[in-house]
Amino acid sequence: MQQNRLVWLWFTPVLLLLGAVYIVPVLDVARLSFSDATLLRPVTAYGLQSYRDMLGGDSLGTILNTTAVFTLLNVLGLQLVGMGIALLLIRGENRRLRGMSVLRIIVLAAWVIPGVANGLIWQMLFSEAPFGAINSTLRLIGLPGVAWLSDPTNAMMSAVIANIWQGSAFSMIVFYAARRAIDPVLYEAASVDGATPAAQFVFITLPQMRGALLVNTVLVTIQTLNTFDTILALTGGGPGRATEVLSLNIFNTVFYGFDLGGGSALAMLLLAISMALTLIYLSILMRRGART
Amino acid sequence: MTGRAGDIATYIAAIALTALFVMPLAWLVSLALRTPQEVYLGAARFIPQQPTLENFRLILSDRAFGLYLFNSVKLCALGALGAVVIATPAAYAVSRFRFRGSNTLMIGILAVQMISPLVVIIPLYRYMDRLGLLENHGSVIALYMAIGVPLSLWLIKTGFDTIPLALEEAAAIDGCGRFEILLRITLPLAAPALASAFILNMIMGWSQFLIPFILLTRDGQLPISVAIFNFAGSTSASTTQVLAAACLVAVVPALLSFLALQRLIVRAIMAGAVKG
Repeated sequence: MQQNRLVWLWFTPVLLLLGAVYIVPVLDVARLSFSDATLLRPVTAYGLQSYRDMLGGDSLGTILNTTAVFTLLNVLGLQLVGMGIALLLIRGENRRLRGMSVLRIIVLAAWVIPGVANGLIWQMLFSEAPFGAINSTLRLIGLPGVAWLSDPTNAMMSAVIANIWQGSAFSMIVFYAARRAIDPVLYEAASVDGATPAAQFVFITLPQMRGALLVNTVLVTIQTLNTFDTILALTGGGPGRATEVLSLNIFNTVFYGFDLGGGSALAMLLLAISMALTLIYLSILMRRGART
Repeated sequence: MTGRAGDIATYIAAIALTALFVMPLAWLVSLALRTPQEVYLGAARFIPQQPTLENFRLILSDRAFGLYLFNSVKLCALGALGAVVIATPAAYAVSRFRFRGSNTLMIGILAVQMISPLVVIIPLYRYMDRLGLLENHGSVIALYMAIGVPLSLWLIKTGFDTIPLALEEAAAIDGCGRFEILLRITLPLAAPALASAFILNMIMGWSQFLIPFILLTRDGQLPISVAIFNFAGSTSASTTQVLAAACLVAVVPALLSFLALQRLIVRAIMAGAVKG
Protein backbone atom coordinates (compact mmCIF):
# COMPACT_ATOMS: atom_id res chain seq x y z
CA MET A 1 0.00 0.00 0.00
CA GLN A 2 1.40 3.32 -1.09
CA GLN A 3 0.93 6.70 0.46
CA ASN A 4 -2.07 8.23 -1.23
CA ARG A 5 -0.41 11.45 -2.21
CA LEU A 6 2.69 9.83 -3.65
CA VAL A 7 0.60 7.62 -5.91
CA TRP A 8 -0.49 10.64 -7.91
CA LEU A 9 3.11 11.27 -8.93
CA TRP A 10 2.91 8.26 -11.24
CA PHE A 11 0.01 9.90 -13.04
CA THR A 12 1.55 13.34 -13.39
CA PRO A 13 2.72 12.99 -17.01
CA VAL A 14 -0.57 11.47 -18.18
CA LEU A 15 -2.69 14.03 -16.37
CA LEU A 16 -0.61 16.97 -17.56
CA LEU A 17 -0.73 15.83 -21.18
CA LEU A 18 -4.42 14.95 -21.24
CA GLY A 19 -5.23 18.10 -19.32
CA ALA A 20 -3.39 20.27 -21.83
CA VAL A 21 -4.66 18.50 -24.94
CA TYR A 22 -8.19 17.58 -23.90
CA ILE A 23 -9.52 19.18 -20.72
CA VAL A 24 -8.39 22.79 -21.19
CA PRO A 25 -9.35 22.89 -24.89
CA VAL A 26 -12.78 21.39 -24.19
CA LEU A 27 -13.43 24.11 -21.60
CA ASP A 28 -12.17 26.66 -24.09
CA VAL A 29 -14.45 25.36 -26.85
CA ALA A 30 -17.33 25.86 -24.42
CA ARG A 31 -16.18 29.44 -23.83
CA LEU A 32 -15.65 30.15 -27.54
CA SER A 33 -19.08 28.80 -28.39
CA PHE A 34 -20.55 31.75 -26.48
CA SER A 35 -18.31 34.23 -28.28
CA ASP A 36 -18.13 35.96 -31.61
CA ALA A 37 -14.52 34.98 -32.31
CA THR A 38 -13.36 34.09 -35.80
CA LEU A 39 -10.16 32.34 -36.78
CA LEU A 40 -8.70 35.71 -37.70
CA ARG A 41 -10.07 37.89 -34.90
CA PRO A 42 -10.17 37.33 -31.12
CA VAL A 43 -13.30 37.53 -28.97
CA THR A 44 -14.96 40.92 -28.86
CA ALA A 45 -18.26 39.97 -27.23
CA TYR A 46 -19.97 37.07 -25.52
CA GLY A 47 -23.53 35.97 -26.04
CA LEU A 48 -25.82 33.31 -27.32
CA GLN A 49 -25.54 34.43 -30.94
CA SER A 50 -23.71 31.31 -32.17
CA TYR A 51 -26.34 29.04 -30.68
CA ARG A 52 -29.14 31.20 -31.98
CA ASP A 53 -27.61 31.10 -35.48
CA MET A 54 -27.05 27.37 -35.22
CA LEU A 55 -30.58 26.57 -34.08
CA GLY A 56 -32.20 29.22 -36.24
CA GLY A 57 -30.27 28.50 -39.44
CA ASP A 58 -31.76 26.16 -41.98
CA SER A 59 -28.63 24.03 -42.42
CA LEU A 60 -28.57 22.37 -38.98
CA GLY A 61 -31.62 20.21 -39.66
CA THR A 62 -30.14 18.96 -42.93
CA ILE A 63 -26.76 18.30 -41.34
CA LEU A 64 -28.23 16.41 -38.39
CA ASN A 65 -30.43 14.40 -40.70
CA THR A 66 -27.45 13.47 -42.89
CA THR A 67 -25.43 12.61 -39.79
CA ALA A 68 -28.22 10.42 -38.41
CA VAL A 69 -28.66 8.54 -41.69
CA PHE A 70 -24.92 8.06 -42.19
CA THR A 71 -24.37 6.94 -38.60
CA LEU A 72 -27.36 4.63 -38.46
CA LEU A 73 -26.50 2.89 -41.74
CA ASN A 74 -22.89 2.50 -40.67
CA VAL A 75 -23.69 1.17 -37.22
CA LEU A 76 -26.02 -1.40 -38.76
CA GLY A 77 -23.72 -2.27 -41.65
CA LEU A 78 -20.47 -2.41 -39.69
CA GLN A 79 -21.98 -4.72 -37.13
CA LEU A 80 -23.84 -6.96 -39.59
CA VAL A 81 -20.70 -7.45 -41.66
CA GLY A 82 -18.52 -7.77 -38.55
CA MET A 83 -20.85 -10.32 -37.00
CA GLY A 84 -21.18 -12.31 -40.21
CA ILE A 85 -17.44 -12.56 -40.68
CA ALA A 86 -16.80 -13.34 -37.01
CA LEU A 87 -19.31 -16.21 -37.04
CA LEU A 88 -17.95 -17.48 -40.34
CA LEU A 89 -14.42 -17.51 -38.90
CA ILE A 90 -15.60 -19.32 -35.78
CA ARG A 91 -17.39 -21.95 -37.86
CA GLY A 92 -14.32 -22.41 -40.00
CA GLU A 93 -12.15 -22.86 -36.93
CA ASN A 94 -14.54 -25.28 -35.26
CA ARG A 95 -14.59 -27.40 -38.39
CA ARG A 96 -10.81 -26.98 -38.80
CA LEU A 97 -11.20 -25.59 -42.30
CA ARG A 98 -7.90 -24.45 -43.78
CA GLY A 99 -7.26 -21.01 -45.18
CA MET A 100 -10.02 -19.18 -43.29
CA SER A 101 -7.44 -16.88 -41.71
CA VAL A 102 -6.95 -15.27 -45.14
CA LEU A 103 -10.37 -13.67 -44.74
CA ARG A 104 -9.54 -12.39 -41.26
CA ILE A 105 -6.24 -10.92 -42.43
CA ILE A 106 -7.71 -9.13 -45.45
CA VAL A 107 -10.54 -7.61 -43.37
CA LEU A 108 -8.02 -6.37 -40.84
CA ALA A 109 -5.77 -5.09 -43.61
CA ALA A 110 -8.56 -2.81 -44.83
CA TRP A 111 -8.75 -1.46 -41.30
CA VAL A 112 -5.15 -0.17 -41.28
CA ILE A 113 -5.69 1.83 -44.47
CA PRO A 114 -5.79 5.56 -43.66
CA GLY A 115 -9.26 7.11 -44.01
CA VAL A 116 -8.09 9.57 -46.65
CA ALA A 117 -6.57 6.80 -48.77
CA ASN A 118 -9.79 4.83 -48.29
CA GLY A 119 -11.82 7.72 -49.68
CA LEU A 120 -9.50 8.05 -52.68
CA ILE A 121 -9.52 4.31 -53.38
CA TRP A 122 -13.32 4.20 -53.39
CA GLN A 123 -13.43 7.26 -55.57
CA MET A 124 -11.59 5.23 -58.20
CA LEU A 125 -14.12 2.42 -57.77
CA PHE A 126 -17.25 4.58 -57.84
CA SER A 127 -15.95 6.99 -60.45
CA GLU A 128 -18.33 7.60 -63.31
CA ALA A 129 -15.38 8.27 -65.64
CA PRO A 130 -14.21 5.45 -67.96
CA PHE A 131 -11.74 4.18 -65.33
CA GLY A 132 -14.35 3.68 -62.60
CA ALA A 133 -14.19 0.03 -61.63
CA ILE A 134 -17.85 -0.60 -60.93
CA ASN A 135 -19.39 1.32 -63.80
CA SER A 136 -16.92 0.03 -66.37
CA THR A 137 -17.67 -3.52 -65.20
CA LEU A 138 -21.40 -2.86 -65.51
CA ARG A 139 -20.88 -1.50 -69.02
CA LEU A 140 -18.76 -4.53 -69.90
CA ILE A 141 -21.69 -6.85 -69.14
CA GLY A 142 -24.12 -4.55 -70.93
CA LEU A 143 -25.74 -2.82 -67.98
CA PRO A 144 -26.15 0.97 -67.67
CA GLY A 145 -23.80 2.82 -65.31
CA VAL A 146 -24.95 4.13 -61.93
CA ALA A 147 -24.41 7.71 -60.72
CA TRP A 148 -22.57 6.55 -57.59
CA LEU A 149 -21.23 9.92 -56.54
CA SER A 150 -23.18 12.53 -58.47
CA ASP A 151 -26.63 11.51 -57.22
CA PRO A 152 -27.28 12.65 -53.62
CA THR A 153 -28.91 9.41 -52.40
CA ASN A 154 -26.35 7.20 -54.12
CA ALA A 155 -23.49 9.31 -52.79
CA MET A 156 -24.67 8.62 -49.24
CA MET A 157 -24.81 4.89 -49.95
CA SER A 158 -21.36 5.03 -51.54
CA ALA A 159 -19.89 6.79 -48.51
CA VAL A 160 -21.48 4.20 -46.23
CA ILE A 161 -20.12 1.30 -48.31
CA ALA A 162 -16.60 2.77 -48.29
CA ASN A 163 -16.76 3.26 -44.53
CA ILE A 164 -18.04 -0.27 -43.90
CA TRP A 165 -15.36 -1.79 -46.10
CA GLN A 166 -12.68 -0.08 -44.06
CA GLY A 167 -14.16 -0.29 -40.57
CA SER A 168 -15.90 -3.62 -40.08
CA ALA A 169 -12.73 -5.23 -38.68
CA PHE A 170 -13.30 -3.60 -35.29
CA SER A 171 -16.75 -5.12 -34.85
CA MET A 172 -15.44 -8.40 -36.22
CA ILE A 173 -12.81 -8.61 -33.48
CA VAL A 174 -15.21 -7.63 -30.71
CA PHE A 175 -17.79 -10.19 -31.83
CA TYR A 176 -15.17 -12.86 -32.46
CA ALA A 177 -13.86 -12.50 -28.91
CA ALA A 178 -17.38 -12.47 -27.46
CA ARG A 179 -18.43 -15.54 -29.45
CA ARG A 180 -15.29 -17.41 -28.37
CA ALA A 181 -16.14 -16.68 -24.75
CA ILE A 182 -19.48 -18.52 -24.93
CA ASP A 183 -19.37 -21.89 -23.21
CA PRO A 184 -19.40 -24.59 -25.97
CA VAL A 185 -21.45 -26.83 -23.66
CA LEU A 186 -24.47 -24.64 -24.45
CA TYR A 187 -24.20 -25.49 -28.14
CA GLU A 188 -23.59 -29.17 -27.47
CA ALA A 189 -26.67 -29.39 -25.28
CA ALA A 190 -28.72 -27.55 -27.90
CA SER A 191 -27.70 -29.85 -30.74
CA VAL A 192 -28.44 -32.89 -28.59
CA ASP A 193 -31.93 -31.43 -28.19
CA GLY A 194 -32.13 -31.06 -31.96
CA ALA A 195 -31.90 -27.27 -32.22
CA THR A 196 -31.13 -26.04 -35.74
CA PRO A 197 -28.14 -23.70 -36.26
CA ALA A 198 -30.60 -20.85 -36.81
CA ALA A 199 -32.30 -21.62 -33.50
CA GLN A 200 -28.93 -21.84 -31.78
CA PHE A 201 -28.03 -18.42 -33.14
CA VAL A 202 -31.28 -16.86 -31.92
CA PHE A 203 -31.46 -18.57 -28.54
CA ILE A 204 -27.78 -18.93 -27.56
CA THR A 205 -25.47 -16.71 -29.59
CA LEU A 206 -27.54 -13.52 -29.62
CA PRO A 207 -28.55 -13.52 -25.92
CA GLN A 208 -25.03 -14.48 -24.81
CA MET A 209 -23.54 -11.69 -26.91
CA ARG A 210 -26.01 -9.06 -25.80
CA GLY A 211 -23.40 -7.26 -23.72
CA ALA A 212 -20.87 -7.21 -26.55
CA LEU A 213 -23.53 -5.98 -28.98
CA LEU A 214 -24.56 -3.14 -26.68
CA VAL A 215 -21.01 -2.02 -25.97
CA ASN A 216 -19.98 -2.32 -29.60
CA THR A 217 -23.02 -0.38 -30.80
CA VAL A 218 -22.07 2.56 -28.59
CA LEU A 219 -18.37 2.44 -29.51
CA VAL A 220 -19.05 2.19 -33.24
CA THR A 221 -21.57 5.03 -33.04
CA ILE A 222 -19.01 7.29 -31.39
CA GLN A 223 -16.31 6.32 -33.89
CA THR A 224 -18.63 6.97 -36.84
CA LEU A 225 -19.74 10.34 -35.47
CA ASN A 226 -16.21 11.51 -34.86
CA THR A 227 -14.58 10.68 -38.20
CA PHE A 228 -14.94 12.25 -41.59
CA ASP A 229 -11.65 11.48 -43.39
CA THR A 230 -13.25 9.00 -45.75
CA ILE A 231 -16.16 11.29 -46.65
CA LEU A 232 -13.86 14.27 -47.11
CA ALA A 233 -11.70 12.40 -49.61
CA LEU A 234 -14.57 10.55 -51.31
CA THR A 235 -17.28 13.15 -51.82
CA GLY A 236 -16.05 16.24 -49.97
CA GLY A 237 -19.52 16.38 -48.44
CA GLY A 238 -21.26 16.59 -51.79
CA PRO A 239 -22.97 16.52 -54.15
CA GLY A 240 -24.38 19.72 -52.73
CA ARG A 241 -24.41 18.94 -49.02
CA ALA A 242 -25.75 15.40 -49.40
CA THR A 243 -22.95 13.75 -47.42
CA GLU A 244 -21.92 16.63 -45.15
CA VAL A 245 -22.07 15.05 -41.69
CA LEU A 246 -21.75 17.04 -38.46
CA SER A 247 -18.00 16.52 -38.01
CA LEU A 248 -17.29 17.57 -41.60
CA ASN A 249 -19.58 20.55 -41.12
CA ILE A 250 -17.60 21.64 -38.04
CA PHE A 251 -14.37 21.27 -39.98
CA ASN A 252 -15.72 23.38 -42.86
CA THR A 253 -17.23 26.02 -40.56
CA VAL A 254 -14.02 26.60 -38.62
CA PHE A 255 -11.25 26.00 -41.10
CA TYR A 256 -12.84 27.12 -44.35
CA GLY A 257 -15.51 29.53 -43.04
CA PHE A 258 -13.19 30.86 -40.27
CA ASP A 259 -16.26 31.04 -38.01
CA LEU A 260 -14.80 30.04 -34.65
CA GLY A 261 -17.84 30.84 -32.52
CA GLY A 262 -20.25 29.01 -34.79
CA GLY A 263 -17.91 26.05 -35.22
CA SER A 264 -17.45 25.83 -31.45
CA ALA A 265 -21.20 25.75 -30.90
CA LEU A 266 -21.42 22.86 -33.38
CA ALA A 267 -18.47 21.19 -31.66
CA MET A 268 -20.32 21.46 -28.34
CA LEU A 269 -23.22 19.65 -29.97
CA LEU A 270 -20.92 16.86 -31.18
CA LEU A 271 -19.31 16.71 -27.75
CA ALA A 272 -22.69 16.51 -26.03
CA ILE A 273 -23.75 13.59 -28.24
CA SER A 274 -20.44 11.76 -27.65
CA MET A 275 -20.65 12.36 -23.91
CA ALA A 276 -24.22 11.08 -23.72
CA LEU A 277 -23.17 7.94 -25.59
CA THR A 278 -20.14 7.55 -23.31
CA LEU A 279 -22.37 7.70 -20.25
CA ILE A 280 -24.58 4.99 -21.75
CA TYR A 281 -21.43 2.95 -22.44
CA LEU A 282 -20.17 3.38 -18.88
CA SER A 283 -23.52 2.48 -17.35
CA ILE A 284 -23.57 -0.73 -19.42
CA LEU A 285 -20.06 -1.56 -18.23
CA MET A 286 -20.97 -0.87 -14.60
CA ARG A 287 -24.01 -3.10 -14.76
CA ARG A 288 -22.03 -5.88 -16.39
CA GLY A 289 -19.28 -5.40 -13.80
CA ALA A 290 -21.80 -5.63 -10.99
CA ARG A 291 -23.23 -8.85 -12.35
CA THR A 292 -20.01 -10.79 -12.68
CA MET B 1 -26.62 -27.49 -41.92
CA THR B 2 -23.77 -29.67 -40.76
CA GLY B 3 -20.91 -31.62 -42.23
CA ARG B 4 -19.72 -31.35 -45.80
CA ALA B 5 -22.52 -29.20 -47.19
CA GLY B 6 -22.01 -26.67 -44.40
CA ASP B 7 -18.27 -26.64 -44.97
CA ILE B 8 -18.74 -25.93 -48.64
CA ALA B 9 -21.20 -23.12 -47.85
CA THR B 10 -18.68 -21.70 -45.37
CA TYR B 11 -15.96 -21.75 -48.00
CA ILE B 12 -18.18 -20.14 -50.62
CA ALA B 13 -19.14 -17.34 -48.23
CA ALA B 14 -15.52 -16.87 -47.14
CA ILE B 15 -14.26 -16.72 -50.71
CA ALA B 16 -16.98 -14.27 -51.74
CA LEU B 17 -16.22 -12.00 -48.78
CA THR B 18 -12.48 -12.22 -49.35
CA ALA B 19 -13.03 -11.23 -52.99
CA LEU B 20 -15.16 -8.27 -51.93
CA PHE B 21 -12.50 -7.09 -49.52
CA VAL B 22 -9.61 -7.65 -51.94
CA MET B 23 -11.31 -6.04 -54.93
CA PRO B 24 -10.71 -2.35 -54.05
CA LEU B 25 -7.02 -2.97 -53.45
CA ALA B 26 -6.72 -5.08 -56.59
CA TRP B 27 -8.29 -2.27 -58.61
CA LEU B 28 -5.84 0.19 -57.10
CA VAL B 29 -2.90 -2.01 -58.12
CA SER B 30 -4.40 -2.48 -61.58
CA LEU B 31 -4.73 1.28 -62.15
CA ALA B 32 -1.28 1.97 -60.78
CA LEU B 33 0.30 -0.40 -63.30
CA ARG B 34 -1.43 1.05 -66.38
CA THR B 35 -0.46 3.51 -69.04
CA PRO B 36 -2.82 6.50 -69.46
CA GLN B 37 -4.31 4.87 -72.59
CA GLU B 38 -5.20 1.68 -70.75
CA VAL B 39 -6.68 3.57 -67.81
CA TYR B 40 -9.44 4.71 -70.14
CA LEU B 41 -10.31 1.14 -71.03
CA GLY B 42 -11.65 0.59 -67.49
CA ALA B 43 -12.49 -2.91 -66.33
CA ALA B 44 -11.75 -4.41 -69.76
CA ARG B 45 -8.06 -4.05 -68.94
CA PHE B 46 -8.17 -5.22 -65.34
CA ILE B 47 -4.93 -6.97 -66.17
CA PRO B 48 -3.01 -4.35 -68.17
CA GLN B 49 -1.65 -5.51 -71.51
CA GLN B 50 1.31 -3.18 -71.25
CA PRO B 51 1.96 -3.02 -67.53
CA THR B 52 4.28 -0.21 -66.55
CA LEU B 53 6.15 0.86 -63.47
CA GLU B 54 6.35 4.38 -64.82
CA ASN B 55 3.77 5.68 -62.30
CA PHE B 56 5.74 4.36 -59.35
CA ARG B 57 8.92 5.76 -60.86
CA LEU B 58 7.25 9.15 -61.09
CA ILE B 59 6.14 9.04 -57.46
CA LEU B 60 9.27 7.56 -55.95
CA SER B 61 11.70 9.72 -57.91
CA ASP B 62 9.88 12.78 -56.60
CA ARG B 63 12.05 13.78 -53.66
CA ALA B 64 9.00 15.22 -51.92
CA PHE B 65 7.36 11.79 -51.63
CA GLY B 66 10.35 10.33 -49.85
CA LEU B 67 10.16 13.25 -47.48
CA TYR B 68 6.41 12.71 -46.85
CA LEU B 69 7.05 9.07 -46.00
CA PHE B 70 9.91 10.01 -43.73
CA ASN B 71 7.73 12.64 -42.02
CA SER B 72 5.00 10.05 -41.45
CA VAL B 73 7.41 7.56 -39.93
CA LYS B 74 8.97 10.24 -37.74
CA LEU B 75 5.67 11.65 -36.44
CA CYS B 76 4.11 8.23 -35.86
CA ALA B 77 7.17 6.66 -34.23
CA LEU B 78 7.88 9.54 -31.87
CA GLY B 79 4.19 9.97 -31.04
CA ALA B 80 3.80 6.24 -30.40
CA LEU B 81 6.95 6.09 -28.29
CA GLY B 82 5.96 9.16 -26.31
CA ALA B 83 2.52 7.73 -25.56
CA VAL B 84 4.05 4.49 -24.28
CA VAL B 85 6.62 6.31 -22.15
CA ILE B 86 3.98 8.53 -20.57
CA ALA B 87 1.41 5.79 -20.09
CA THR B 88 3.80 3.28 -18.52
CA PRO B 89 4.19 4.80 -15.02
CA ALA B 90 0.45 5.35 -14.78
CA ALA B 91 -0.26 1.82 -15.97
CA TYR B 92 2.16 0.48 -13.38
CA ALA B 93 0.48 2.44 -10.61
CA VAL B 94 -3.00 1.29 -11.64
CA SER B 95 -1.84 -2.31 -11.82
CA ARG B 96 0.20 -2.43 -8.60
CA PHE B 97 -1.14 0.05 -6.06
CA ARG B 98 -4.53 0.02 -4.44
CA PHE B 99 -5.73 3.52 -3.74
CA ARG B 100 -8.96 5.41 -3.57
CA GLY B 101 -10.19 6.78 -6.86
CA SER B 102 -8.06 4.42 -8.96
CA ASN B 103 -11.07 3.07 -10.86
CA THR B 104 -12.57 6.48 -11.45
CA LEU B 105 -9.23 7.77 -12.69
CA MET B 106 -8.84 4.88 -15.12
CA ILE B 107 -12.37 5.31 -16.48
CA GLY B 108 -11.85 9.05 -16.76
CA ILE B 109 -8.68 8.59 -18.79
CA LEU B 110 -10.31 6.01 -21.06
CA ALA B 111 -13.39 8.22 -21.53
CA VAL B 112 -11.15 10.95 -22.95
CA GLN B 113 -10.93 8.81 -26.10
CA MET B 114 -14.54 9.61 -26.83
CA ILE B 115 -13.74 13.28 -27.39
CA SER B 116 -13.21 13.87 -31.07
CA PRO B 117 -9.84 15.44 -31.93
CA LEU B 118 -11.95 17.77 -34.07
CA VAL B 119 -13.35 19.39 -30.91
CA VAL B 120 -10.01 20.07 -29.25
CA ILE B 121 -8.09 21.03 -32.37
CA ILE B 122 -10.08 24.28 -32.59
CA PRO B 123 -8.65 25.90 -29.44
CA LEU B 124 -5.33 24.04 -29.78
CA TYR B 125 -4.82 25.66 -33.17
CA ARG B 126 -5.22 29.08 -31.55
CA TYR B 127 -2.85 28.30 -28.66
CA MET B 128 -0.20 27.01 -31.00
CA ASP B 129 -0.66 29.95 -33.30
CA ARG B 130 -0.08 32.31 -30.38
CA LEU B 131 2.89 30.32 -29.05
CA GLY B 132 4.45 30.11 -32.50
CA LEU B 133 4.12 26.32 -32.48
CA LEU B 134 2.33 25.93 -35.79
CA GLU B 135 4.38 24.36 -38.60
CA ASN B 136 6.10 22.38 -35.88
CA HIS B 137 6.51 18.61 -35.76
CA GLY B 138 6.77 18.74 -31.97
CA SER B 139 3.19 19.99 -31.66
CA VAL B 140 1.88 17.21 -33.90
CA ILE B 141 3.84 14.60 -31.95
CA ALA B 142 2.45 15.90 -28.64
CA LEU B 143 -1.11 15.50 -29.96
CA TYR B 144 -0.37 12.01 -31.31
CA MET B 145 0.93 11.15 -27.83
CA ALA B 146 -2.21 12.42 -26.14
CA ILE B 147 -4.41 10.49 -28.56
CA GLY B 148 -2.42 7.31 -27.97
CA VAL B 149 -2.22 7.52 -24.17
CA PRO B 150 -5.62 6.08 -23.17
CA LEU B 151 -5.35 2.89 -25.23
CA SER B 152 -1.66 2.49 -24.33
CA LEU B 153 -2.47 2.86 -20.65
CA TRP B 154 -5.05 0.11 -20.92
CA LEU B 155 -2.87 -2.29 -22.91
CA ILE B 156 0.17 -1.80 -20.70
CA LYS B 157 -1.86 -2.14 -17.51
CA THR B 158 -3.27 -5.43 -18.83
CA GLY B 159 0.32 -6.51 -19.52
CA PHE B 160 1.48 -5.62 -15.99
CA ASP B 161 -1.48 -7.48 -14.52
CA THR B 162 -0.24 -10.74 -15.99
CA ILE B 163 3.18 -10.48 -14.32
CA PRO B 164 3.11 -12.35 -10.99
CA LEU B 165 3.70 -10.15 -7.96
CA ALA B 166 5.84 -12.94 -6.49
CA LEU B 167 8.65 -12.08 -8.92
CA GLU B 168 8.76 -8.51 -7.71
CA GLU B 169 8.51 -9.56 -4.08
CA ALA B 170 11.43 -11.94 -4.52
CA ALA B 171 13.51 -9.11 -5.96
CA ALA B 172 12.47 -6.87 -3.07
CA ILE B 173 13.70 -9.48 -0.60
CA ASP B 174 17.00 -9.52 -2.44
CA GLY B 175 17.25 -5.85 -1.65
CA CYS B 176 16.19 -4.21 -4.90
CA GLY B 177 14.45 -0.85 -4.69
CA ARG B 178 11.11 -0.23 -6.41
CA PHE B 179 12.58 1.54 -9.40
CA GLU B 180 15.26 -1.05 -9.87
CA ILE B 181 12.58 -3.77 -9.81
CA LEU B 182 10.49 -1.84 -12.30
CA LEU B 183 13.40 -1.32 -14.67
CA ARG B 184 15.08 -4.72 -14.43
CA ILE B 185 12.18 -7.11 -13.89
CA THR B 186 8.74 -5.70 -14.56
CA LEU B 187 9.43 -3.71 -17.73
CA PRO B 188 11.31 -6.47 -19.57
CA LEU B 189 8.52 -8.91 -18.72
CA ALA B 190 5.94 -6.43 -19.98
CA ALA B 191 7.78 -6.01 -23.28
CA PRO B 192 5.05 -7.67 -25.41
CA ALA B 193 2.41 -5.30 -24.01
CA LEU B 194 4.69 -2.29 -24.51
CA ALA B 195 5.40 -3.41 -28.07
CA SER B 196 1.77 -3.93 -28.99
CA ALA B 197 0.84 -0.52 -27.56
CA PHE B 198 3.62 1.03 -29.62
CA ILE B 199 2.54 -0.74 -32.82
CA LEU B 200 -1.15 0.10 -32.44
CA ASN B 201 -0.20 3.74 -31.83
CA MET B 202 1.95 3.66 -34.96
CA ILE B 203 -0.93 2.38 -37.09
CA MET B 204 -3.36 4.94 -35.65
CA GLY B 205 -0.80 7.66 -36.26
CA TRP B 206 -0.27 6.59 -39.87
CA SER B 207 -4.00 7.15 -40.48
CA GLN B 208 -4.05 10.55 -38.78
CA PHE B 209 -5.18 13.26 -41.12
CA LEU B 210 -6.91 16.09 -39.29
CA ILE B 211 -4.12 17.07 -36.90
CA PRO B 212 -1.25 17.41 -39.38
CA PHE B 213 -3.63 18.91 -41.96
CA ILE B 214 -4.53 21.71 -39.56
CA LEU B 215 -1.21 22.27 -37.81
CA LEU B 216 1.18 21.92 -40.75
CA THR B 217 1.00 23.71 -44.05
CA ARG B 218 4.56 23.83 -45.28
CA ASP B 219 4.92 21.17 -47.95
CA GLY B 220 8.20 19.68 -46.74
CA GLN B 221 6.72 18.90 -43.34
CA LEU B 222 3.59 17.04 -44.35
CA PRO B 223 3.04 13.35 -43.63
CA ILE B 224 1.92 11.07 -46.45
CA SER B 225 -1.78 11.05 -45.48
CA VAL B 226 -2.05 14.81 -45.95
CA ALA B 227 0.21 14.74 -48.98
CA ILE B 228 -1.97 12.30 -50.95
CA PHE B 229 -5.06 14.33 -50.08
CA ASN B 230 -3.43 17.47 -51.46
CA PHE B 231 -2.10 15.51 -54.40
CA ALA B 232 -5.60 14.19 -55.19
CA GLY B 233 -6.86 17.77 -55.23
CA SER B 234 -4.21 18.77 -57.75
CA THR B 235 -4.61 15.82 -60.13
CA SER B 236 -7.05 15.44 -62.98
CA ALA B 237 -8.68 12.40 -64.53
CA SER B 238 -5.75 12.02 -66.88
CA THR B 239 -3.38 11.27 -64.00
CA THR B 240 -5.53 8.78 -62.12
CA GLN B 241 -2.88 6.09 -62.58
CA VAL B 242 -0.34 8.29 -60.79
CA LEU B 243 -2.75 8.96 -57.94
CA ALA B 244 -3.32 5.21 -57.65
CA ALA B 245 0.41 4.66 -57.38
CA ALA B 246 0.65 7.42 -54.76
CA CYS B 247 -2.17 5.82 -52.74
CA LEU B 248 -0.37 2.48 -52.86
CA VAL B 249 2.84 4.09 -51.69
CA ALA B 250 0.90 5.58 -48.76
CA VAL B 251 -0.89 2.35 -47.89
CA VAL B 252 1.75 -0.31 -48.42
CA PRO B 253 4.02 0.54 -45.44
CA ALA B 254 1.05 0.24 -43.07
CA LEU B 255 -0.13 -2.97 -44.75
CA LEU B 256 3.30 -4.59 -44.67
CA SER B 257 3.97 -3.78 -41.04
CA PHE B 258 0.48 -4.99 -40.21
CA LEU B 259 1.03 -8.29 -42.02
CA ALA B 260 4.38 -8.80 -40.34
CA LEU B 261 2.97 -8.17 -36.88
CA GLN B 262 -0.63 -9.24 -37.29
CA ARG B 263 -0.71 -11.82 -34.49
CA LEU B 264 0.56 -9.32 -31.96
CA ILE B 265 -1.82 -6.68 -33.27
CA VAL B 266 -4.91 -8.90 -33.20
CA ARG B 267 -4.15 -9.87 -29.62
CA ALA B 268 -3.70 -6.21 -28.68
CA ILE B 269 -6.96 -5.16 -30.33
CA MET B 270 -8.76 -7.97 -28.53
CA ALA B 271 -7.35 -6.85 -25.20
CA GLY B 272 -8.38 -3.30 -26.04
CA ALA B 273 -11.77 -4.23 -27.43
CA VAL B 274 -12.97 -6.47 -24.62
CA LYS B 275 -12.21 -4.06 -21.84
CA GLY B 276 -15.86 -4.42 -20.82
